[in-house]
Amino acid sequence: MESPPTKQTTAQATLVPPPPPPARENPVKRFLGRLKASPATKIRRRKAMNAKIHKNLGWLKLLLFIVGYVWMLVIPYPDLGRKTYSDENALQPAQVHTSYNWGDVRKADKYLEGLESLVAANATSERIATHLSDEFAKLGLLTATQAYNLSTTNDLSSGVNTYAILRSPRISGAEAILVGASWLSRTGEGDGTLNLRGVSTVLSIASFLRRSSHWAKDIIFVVSDGYMDGMQAFLTTYHGQTQSNIQAQPLRHSSGVIWTAMAIDYPAHSFSHLGVFHEALNGRLPNADLLHSFQLISRYAGGVPVIMYDHLDWREHPALRKQFDWVTPKWLPRSIRDRKELKTFAYHARNVWRHWGYQARGKASGIHGLMRQYRIDAFTMFALPAVGPHGFHAIGKTIESTLRTMNNLLERLHASVFFYTLTAPDRFIKIGNYLPSAVIVSVAMMFTGLGFWVDAGWERILVPGGKALAIGGKALAIGETAFRGEDRWKQRSRPVLAVLMIMALTHALGGALYTLCTTAVFLQNIPILLPLISLLIFGVPIILSSFIAPSASSQISKTLQALNLSFASTIISITTVLNFSLAALLCALLGLPLALGSSAAPTRSSPSSSGYPLKYPVYTLYALLGYGFLTLGLLYSPNLVVQAIQGGVRDWEAFGVWFVPLFCGVYVPLVVQAGVVVLLA
Amino acid sequence: MKSLCFTALILSLITPAWTTTPTEQFYEELSFRNLKDGRVATRFSFKTVLNGSVPRDPSTLGQEDQSQHYRLFPLAMGQILREYALTELHLTLNAGNWDYDRWGYLDEPSVGTGAELWTWMADGAPSSIDERWEGTRNALGGLFCSSLGGLNDKRTTSPESVFRPEGDLPDWGKPHRLRHASLASENVCTENLTPFIKLLPCKALSGIATLLNPHRLFDADWHGLGVHVVWNEHTGVEISLVIQAVLNPFRFSQEKTIEWSFNSLFKKQVERQCPIASASTLSVSFPAGESWSLEPQGSKSEGGVSLYDLAQAQYPFDLQAKASTDLSTSVHEDFKPPLRVQRALNGPSQAYGRLSVSFSNTGAAPVQALYLETMPWLVQFYLHTLTASANGTENGELLSHIQYTPAVPHGKPATVQLEVHVPAYTEVLLTMEVAKSFLRYTDHPPDAQRGWDLPPAVVIPFLVEQNSSSNAISLRKLPRMYTNSLLVDLATPDFSMPYNVIIFTCSLIAFLFGSVFNMLTRNFVVVSLKDDSETEKP
Repeated sequence: MESPPTKQTTAQATLVPPPPPPARENPVKRFLGRLKASPATKIRRRKAMNAKIHKNLGWLKLLLFIVGYVWMLVIPYPDLGRKTYSDENALQPAQVHTSYNWGDVRKADKYLEGLESLVAANATSERIATHLSDEFAKLGLLTATQAYNLSTTNDLSSGVNTYAILRSPRISGAEAILVGASWLSRTGEGDGTLNLRGVSTVLSIASFLRRSSHWAKDIIFVVSDGYMDGMQAFLTTYHGQTQSNIQAQPLRHSSGVIWTAMAIDYPAHSFSHLGVFHEALNGRLPNADLLHSFQLISRYAGGVPVIMYDHLDWREHPALRKQFDWVTPKWLPRSIRDRKELKTFAYHARNVWRHWGYQARGKASGIHGLMRQYRIDAFTMFALPAVGPHGFHAIGKTIESTLRTMNNLLERLHASVFFYTLTAPDRFIKIGNYLPSAVIVSVAMMFTGLGFWVDAGWERILVPGGKALAIGGKALAIGETAFRGEDRWKQRSRPVLAVLMIMALTHALGGALYTLCTTAVFLQNIPILLPLISLLIFGVPIILSSFIAPSASSQISKTLQALNLSFASTIISITTVLNFSLAALLCALLGLPLALGSSAAPTRSSPSSSGYPLKYPVYTLYALLGYGFLTLGLLYSPNLVVQAIQGGVRDWEAFGVWFVPLFCGVYVPLVVQAGVVVLLA
Repeated sequence: MKSLCFTALILSLITPAWTTTPTEQFYEELSFRNLKDGRVATRFSFKTVLNGSVPRDPSTLGQEDQSQHYRLFPLAMGQILREYALTELHLTLNAGNWDYDRWGYLDEPSVGTGAELWTWMADGAPSSIDERWEGTRNALGGLFCSSLGGLNDKRTTSPESVFRPEGDLPDWGKPHRLRHASLASENVCTENLTPFIKLLPCKALSGIATLLNPHRLFDADWHGLGVHVVWNEHTGVEISLVIQAVLNPFRFSQEKTIEWSFNSLFKKQVERQCPIASASTLSVSFPAGESWSLEPQGSKSEGGVSLYDLAQAQYPFDLQAKASTDLSTSVHEDFKPPLRVQRALNGPSQAYGRLSVSFSNTGAAPVQALYLETMPWLVQFYLHTLTASANGTENGELLSHIQYTPAVPHGKPATVQLEVHVPAYTEVLLTMEVAKSFLRYTDHPPDAQRGWDLPPAVVIPFLVEQNSSSNAISLRKLPRMYTNSLLVDLATPDFSMPYNVIIFTCSLIAFLFGSVFNMLTRNFVVVSLKDDSETEKP
């Protein structure tokens, strides 16, 4: 090796004639020469590399887990996102003069009076729907009502929707915009608060719009009964879909393809902000251009500030600051407590948390969420109840201007702005800045799994002497230690078939759980049956694992853990693009717990190889992580658990939310498998 | 005053010239139909008759044509008719969706959305019918400033039993053939009206054509232009230029009274009579059971229709119409069409869908309907999935005389023609599965991708009437009806981000190709690792 020339040597070189320089190889040539290395060298090199990776796998895994989890935590960090922008130039948000005026507000007040008197008279759904339909008919719109029944295992809901179609002049009626309001407001996810002002707004907007002739699309007004059920019945019928548990009247009037839609939720007397709700079923999101446009329109055309959900920005509302004291605890130095980034981070984190709550569970945050499955981009504008200052006038102007923007569209909203996380109404995180976090965790899991796979295929045996031990006619050795003759590696076959059977069995168990969960008996007796079923799921693996011969069990355990981790990792990495929040949730719940599974188990080399005292406690922890938490929850708040299960099953049966089947068929079996790993270790 | 005298003098000098040559006559007719929902359906009709003339015999197409001298007949149209030897021609350009439930039928049944062109022409010319058809649509496209060139072979069909000739066909010993095409996405606007008005003998200077104010006409709820050329054996070649519109007089007024005048509808009034019109009439009709006051009064009034002879009218002429009743507080359908047809293309998939057409008969007499569906090849029918159900119960016997011409991909459209029997008080639902084509990327228009407009289907209802005395069943043909046009979404690449698409696709192909190529060309040999013949733990 030639040392790099220093100053001294160059000084010498000036005195003494330099020796002829050694023939230096051209680096390119050298590189090409390496490529031409003999196949044996190449194979050796590859093996050395693999060995190096395997040797440092522990560090690599740790690094990946840390990076992945930390990345997930810093997603709300302001510098990770950017300001929203409009990709579709046709939208032209807030570029029109609005003409919704006080006369229309007066009409809205009149409509409201009519509705309030109906509610005061305890009118039935039919009566209300007929009233609404008559009001639409007076405006000269095509209108009809639609009665529906939606039956789920535990629930039967029925109602009557009202809809009206404004046939825009001179238009073929092949395209349409939908303006909807559910009879129940989304307050408390449909807790029974009436959306009377939202419905009145729809009526007054209808009466206002029929006066203009510049609409390029038909406008469909829908007042759906219930919270989400009515809209689901309307949309399935409108799109000619049949859902076995919905009986709905056919629609008498129809229009064209719906591209965009908005839902209006205005539950209280006045409002201070308009909140955006955008999560659709199963983690889908509407095009971000639409949300950005609405945000601008509300701010500049309606004069109403926009918030995420019903979250007031506590940086602007000192009165709310108390709620956020936990972010800036007193013991932090003042210089850190007062940093703007920290406050922004806390505000963003709250929004992201709410978003994950909807998206991970696949829940829609309003009736707009039902539309995405029909390729309709939609959102709900929620008028945040307040003592003032805004009312019908502001929301009317905002709706008018938003409709004009939707009307401008020459083609569907596209441009791939469907993958984003909104951290604030005007800030979002691009897919490239949040997606890798979950992918990195899943890669770490895959590496862990592959590590176990390799381990399962090799056995380390201690050899007393320095001679190589011949096993099955072939001597195997590795590394320096191997040559020193202290221990040897023996290849062994992996019990893949048995492991696959165990996995299939756990998924069958999950399938049974799903079947039980969706029975009426279970849903009505959750406090009694849930612990029983949990006990069953807890017991079956213990009983079955006792049948496995102790000699084979550690092999099976390793292989099972390998396949379990690889499977979980695959599921997570696929889910990242479909539903990032769900992937993140799975990362948090499955990532480390599955990877750590057998690490608590004693290794063979340790003296107490006969037993694994922590086996049952660890197994119980897994059971808690997988399904036991629900039973545990029963002790604290039975109502919450019962409602959560019933709601989840209903969401699946009524709207096709995949969360419950996924929980029963994928999540629980994966955790049970991890438990079996511990039992067999 | 001086100018008036001068005009009168000129007129008196010229008029005899027309009266001595009775070969051409021009009739103008304006009608208003008050609809129950407060709208007004208006129809302008300008008819020129070329007495004693005969369409050009196609066999003479190679020869020198007779010279064309017209006084009133539009020369531009005459040239096209003779150049391509057209016997009958119908062109309509409509904007909007005709609402049969509320507006009923108009005298012109061609109300399908967009452009529709159909011609009857005889065979026997040196050039083929299709070549003449291509020339015709290009010439008309140029004349009316519309994209009729888009009515190409991909949209042309020949459903002869649905589009029967409306006049007579001369017997030249060669069969007459129909060519029909429609383009639902064609927009109609001022640039189409201007050349249209140019074809009128009085332009928009006098007569009822004065009222053709594009600002008001194209603000209507529905409007359409039509050119119809037919040949009558007894009279000769007739050309009718028709403008129809459904005006909404109270769109801007908050008042509940129904009231309109020429001035309020068109911001115009008829200043003077068209001096060359042989007849100039105006008719105003009202819905049954409503009383209206008209100012001035009509010369004749019968059956809810007031007639005016504009030759005798006082100029400038403005008509004021006012209903004595308020706008009815709840608007319900006032016109019950014998058949209500609703068509939809369902299914969220971009590969498959279901076409469903519902025919509902609200009347007491059964209706036999001839249904014609023309589809560009973008949407392909699975004819074996065609089902018909009456009020929900499947009944295949409702369908008869099914004719199906499959589509030729990238070439010809498909046509399905069938007869549906719709019993009294019954809704018949026709459903058929369709496949949506996957297009080559060059098939997508270089334009905003809103989807593809599918032309309206055509339905001809026949009322089945039973003669009580003889028990004989007779069919009464009703005017043609058009369904709504449809918009279909085909699988479309996101053209707005071609680089991502190209990069992804290329990477994938390179990856697959690279690995496969590597495996295929690799030479597998046994390599001995001399130093460590024992396998390492990987």
